[in-house]
Formats: sequence, structure tokens, C-alpha cells
Amino acid sequence: MNHELRCYREDAQAWLAEHAPRYSGQARHGLSFDDDLALARAWQAHKVEHGYGCITLPREYGGAGESELKKVIFCEEEMHYDLPLVYFGISLNNPLPIFLRYAPQAWKQKLGPATVRGELIWCQLFSEPSAGSDLASLRLKAVPTEGGWLLSGQKVWTSWAQIADWGVVVARTDASLPKHAGLTYFFLDMRSKGITVQPIRRLGEEKDLNEVFFDEVFVADEQRLGEVNGGFKVAVETLMIERYAVTDESGYGPTLENFIDLASKARLNGSPALADGEVRARIAETYVERQGLRAIHRRALEAFARGQEPGPEGAIRKLLLGRTRQNLAAMALDLLGANGAQLAAHGHSVNDFARAWLDPSLRIAGGTDELLLNTLAERVLGLPQDHRPDKGVPFNALAK
Amino acid sequence: MQADHAEDLASIREQARRLLVDQATPEHLKNLLNAPGSFDQALWRHAVEQGWPSVAMPEQVGGLALGWSGLAVICEELGRLTGALPLIANALTAHAVISAGISGHQQLLEDLTSGALTAALALADPSDSGICSPGAAKESNGRIDGVKALAAFAAVADVALVHGVNERGDGLYLVHLDQPSVKRQVLEGFDNARAAAALQFEQTEAVYLGGAELVSEISSLAALATAFEQLGGTHACLDMACDYARERRAFGQAIGGFQGIKHKLAEIYCLLEIARGCAADALDAWQQQRPDKQQLTCAARIAATRAYNLAAQENLHVHGGMGVTWEAMPHHYYRRARSLALELGSVAYWRERLLTDLGLESTTVEVGGSA
Repeated sequence: MNHELRCYREDAQAWLAEHAPRYSGQARHGLSFDDDLALARAWQAHKVEHGYGCITLPREYGGAGESELKKVIFCEEEMHYDLPLVYFGISLNNPLPIFLRYAPQAWKQKLGPATVRGELIWCQLFSEPSAGSDLASLRLKAVPTEGGWLLSGQKVWTSWAQIADWGVVVARTDASLPKHAGLTYFFLDMRSKGITVQPIRRLGEEKDLNEVFFDEVFVADEQRLGEVNGGFKVAVETLMIERYAVTDESGYGPTLENFIDLASKARLNGSPALADGEVRARIAETYVERQGLRAIHRRALEAFARGQEPGPEGAIRKLLLGRTRQNLAAMALDLLGANGAQLAAHGHSVNDFARAWLDPSLRIAGGTDELLLNTLAERVLGLPQDHRPDKGVPFNALAK
Repeated sequence: MQADHAEDLASIREQARRLLVDQATPEHLKNLLNAPGSFDQALWRHAVEQGWPSVAMPEQVGGLALGWSGLAVICEELGRLTGALPLIANALTAHAVISAGISGHQQLLEDLTSGALTAALALADPSDSGICSPGAAKESNGRIDGVKALAAFAAVADVALVHGVNERGDGLYLVHLDQPSVKRQVLEGFDNARAAAALQFEQTEAVYLGGAELVSEISSLAALATAFEQLGGTHACLDMACDYARERRAFGQAIGGFQGIKHKLAEIYCLLEIARGCAADALDAWQQQRPDKQQLTCAARIAATRAYNLAAQENLHVHGGMGVTWEAMPHHYYRRARSLALELGSVAYWRERLLTDLGLESTTVEVGGSA
């Protein structure tokens, strides 16, 4: 890693050490949802003021106009603090950058800076009840009307729709074309008439996901991003913006050290659980996997710094961490015995094995395990695509 | 790594790959598997001409001084084609003799460097599934007695690095195998191409090179270099399986289009990348002499053994009926993956070494309770 990037990292570390404590850890304990969200907005505004908010976005909208690598470096350092970042995870990383690429200039001026500062939050209305991994099979329809479109249908798994001010949405504009070819991409005001947001209750009571219903919601044609029926390309571009997403090396679950600590105190049939071969094997396996992933990550950043495109590292990482988080947590609960079934009141997935186990969504969201394996098999190993009976068939001729 | 060093390594890799593709033909490899204790004399002669044994050796004994990364490059290429040469044993025997700082071995060192002599590593005991265990070979007054389990190249090697014990504990010994008191027993095995033999010593002259620390260093370095050989083998298996899965058709499509096959191969790819990452980090730790070099080596050994075993096993499986024929190549890797896993100690053995290094030694864990 070159000198400039090393300096950037050191500066970021020093800056975070000085500023992050007021927005993380103790500062968040006992906060209501609204107060935590307010703290999150304040942290985002504070970062923007110091050149660490929206690092890759253009300066004219309040970004720092810096490289993607610097963003990766800052995110790595920022992750060491328990900061309220989740509300902006989608907003700033996907909808905002794509909006700034495609929207008319006046709209960019109007919404860009306020979104960068965290005053506005965006959601991404992609998945539907019948379109998850297979995004292009979505059904929400957009019918032309005077000056724009009327959108009707349903979206689901929409993160933070309940607090979002704006959203990007993909809709079907021509069902007589094959599924990828008849989609169009828009942005819209989440307070538009005809939108209903329903929260989805989750296993661990995380308050992120929603269903969003559209009942003839009017969207002006100037809010279209990309061509009519060219929306799939924009959707894929939205998902690819973060070419190298930084993820926590424990998959946002407890660390290996937390597991060793727990195992050191646990007993099995009157003996220390640490004497058990299966427990020891799990520790070794987790260590080895983490070590391998660290090496892969470091090599990827070096390649990135040399100007190469990121490879499949992200897919390997997400695949392995999702499973390891779930399995390590299950074994930790085993070691706690019958009392392991308790759910601590203020536990969080990063420090509580039961909470981590109760949220296996890392294996599902943003590409399921199976989809990631397909990606690796097809893109890296050059193996054939799955059989796709809907290929080239008009959407309205497909079996429902 | 310096830039010129990187260029040297790249050209060594290129050379090695070309030579091995020429020499390690299927027919040649199958002949070696046919008889117990086979040693690939022809390939060794070519390797000596190319200077492979000298790659990691220091300049004062005539080596190229390219370090462990030089050895790693050749081991990886060797692993790709299931070649078997005593490069690791030669390099580590020289390293151990030099570390011991004893005089009078200049000729031996030069011969190990040129390849005029070959070495074997005899670290395993017949009575323990690990390596460097309390031991069936005992030394006193410069003489060693006892037995060592099957060791690669021991059927033909001139010298061996032998793990034994004396009254002070662990020891690593240099033993000339041409002494009449050394018995080599060659046994029929599933990987006959590694010139393996069990060794028996009776009042055999042995030169003490060092204690537990040296034993640990040599076994770690052997595991590290072997990890690269395992990586080469893993990669070859994955390539072979993918090629076959793209070609072979069933139910109207290439079998690589079925998730049962493609997901299996993608999982192996993940294990390969993890193993590659661990091996690269461990190599780096040795080059920088970092304090975590032992634990990173354990990780590299575990990851490489896992990856190669699964890749070899599933490559054979993907080949279906062809996989179980003598004629097809998958069984060469199936055999080699297992023999490399056994020679230097199982995954369970290295797991314990790793956990010990992490401060979770099994002996400090109180066992038994009130039973």
C-alpha cells in the first residue's frame, strides 16, 4: 500500500479516535429509535463537514471527490466503532450515487446535498414477493399517463422505507418483452399519494424491513432514470456501484476471541469444554478461514490500488462469513447448555451469540449462498449457466 | 519482495512448468506408481541440471539464495503435476546443518545444493499419528536406535534429518543412510512414487543438530513448503474437474450446469483461495521473521491439506466412472493429496499445534473431572 494511502489511514484513525466516541458505544446506550436516528444524522453531517462523508461522491454535492480505495480504508477504520451507520447503508451507497449519475441537473441540486448531509434518506424498491434473487421477474407495473406514469403493485424487504424521504424503484413498463427487457427505473417521493409502508416483524425485532404498496402512484416522466425499458441495466449498475463493499471480518457477529472466551468458561460433562476435540476443531477452522480471508482482502486492496478491477473476493467473503457466523453462534449456544436459550434484553448481534444466531440474513440478503456459488462457478470457473426456461420468453407468456 | 527477485521467481516458475509438462507425462507417472519405492531419477536429473535444489540455498554453499519463496514456487509447480522430488528435504537438511553451526559439513552442503546428494525427512513415528512425537528413536553418545515411520525419499536418500529423543528431550539428527546399521524397508503403498521407506537404526551414527526449537522450525518450514505443493495439486484438480464438467454432457447439457456439480466446484475454489491466502501470509511471516510465523504456518498447513483432500476427492468423483480407472489422471492426485496429508501429520495434529500457539494448549486444559 503506498505512502499516500497509509497517511490517509493514519489521519482517519486519529480523526475517528477524536470524534467517534461522542456518537458511538456509550453514547448510544438506551436511545430510542428516533434518538438513535437523530444521532446517526448528526454523525453523517459531522463527517461531511470534515471530508469523510460520501468520500467518492463529487464535491459539488458535498462529497469528498476521493477514490473508492480511500472510502474502503475509511470504512474499515470506522467499523471499529459501534456507530449508528445502518440507516444510511443503502441510501448513500446505492440510490444516491445512481441518482447523481442519471437525474436531471435541477433535481440533483435539489436533493443531492441534503441527502449527502443525512437530512434526507433514500430507500431502494427492488425486491418483490415473486422477485428476490431473480430481480428481473418483478411485476410492479408502470402505466403511461399524462406527463408521467402510474405505478401499482408491491415491493418487499425494503430497508428503511419507513424513514425514507425518497426512493428508487424498478417497474415493469412492457410485459410483452422478455423479463429483463421491459423494465424502467424511476426515483420518487416516498410521501407520494398512493404509497403505503408496512413494517415487517423480524426474528430479532430488527426494525429495518418493510413492505411497500403502490396504488396508482404518479411519477413524473422527468423522474425516470435511464431509458424506457432500459431499467434493468440501471438496476444492475445500482447494485454494482460499490465494487468492493467492506464487511466486518466476523460477519457483524461476535468474534473468534469472543467464542474462545466463552468456550474457556464452559464445561462439558464436568470437564472444560476447551478439551473437547469438536470445540478445538471449530476454533482452528474459524482461525484458518479468517486468516485466509484477511489475506484475500489485503491482496484485493493492493490490486485495487494498482487500478485493477475487484474480482470475486467479495462473494467468497460473504459466502463464508454468513455460514460461519451462524454455525459459530450455534456452537456457542450449545456450550451454554439449556440456559443458552435465553435472549439478553440489550444484546446485539455483534456481541451476543443468541442475537447473531437469530439473524441469519447475511446468507440471504444481497445474494443468497446459492446465488454466490453460481456467480463463482460461472464467472470464475467458467461453468455453464443454470437452465433458464424463461430466457427470451415474453414476460406475459411465462407461467405465473 | 524486491522487484528483481520477483522476476527471478517468475522465470523459475515458467521454466519449471515447461519442464514438468514435458517430463511428467501420464505414462511416466503411471510407471512410477507401479512399483513400491519408485524414485523419479529422470526428473531429478533434469531438476539438477536446472539448478532447482540450489534455489533456496545460501550463496556460501553455491545456492541461488532466493529463499523459501523460491522453493515455494517450484513446489507449487511440482504439485500441479504430482511430481515428487526431495527438494524440501534437501533444502531443510542444509538449513538445519547451517543453523546448527557445526563445522566439517561444507562438502555435504554443497552436494545437497548441487543435487549430487539427496535427503529425506524422517519426522514421524510408527506409534503416533502426529510428527515429532515423544518418539521411537532414541539417541545417546552420538548413536541412535529405533524406528521411524514411512518417510518420503528415504528409499533412495543419502542422508536424513531424523527426529529423535535423548536425555535432554527432543533432538534433530543428521544421519547418513549408507551406514550398514541402517535398514530401509520399502513397502507397497497407495502412492509408490515418493520413494518412501521406513527406517530402522541400530547404534547408528547420528549428528545432533539441535533441540525442540530446531525440530519445530524444520517441521514448520516443511509444512510451509508442502502447503505450496498442495496448492499446486488443488489447483490442478479444480482445473481438471472444471474442464471435464464443461465437456461431459448428460440429460442434454454439460454437467457443469447442474448446481450439484457447479456448487461443489465453487466450494473447492473458496477452499483453494483460503489456502492460498494462508500460505502466502505464512511465507511472508517467515521472510520477515514475524512472531506469528508458527501459527500462520499451522493455518497454511490445515487449509492446504483440507483443500487438496477435497479437491482430489471431488475431482475424481466429478469424473464419474472414468475417475476410478487407472488410465485417467484423477487418482494420481487422490493418492498424492493423501500421502502429503499423512507424511507431515494430520489436520488434527496441526490443529493442536495451532491452538497451543494461541495459548490453548490441550495439556493445560484440565481433563477428566470426577469420572
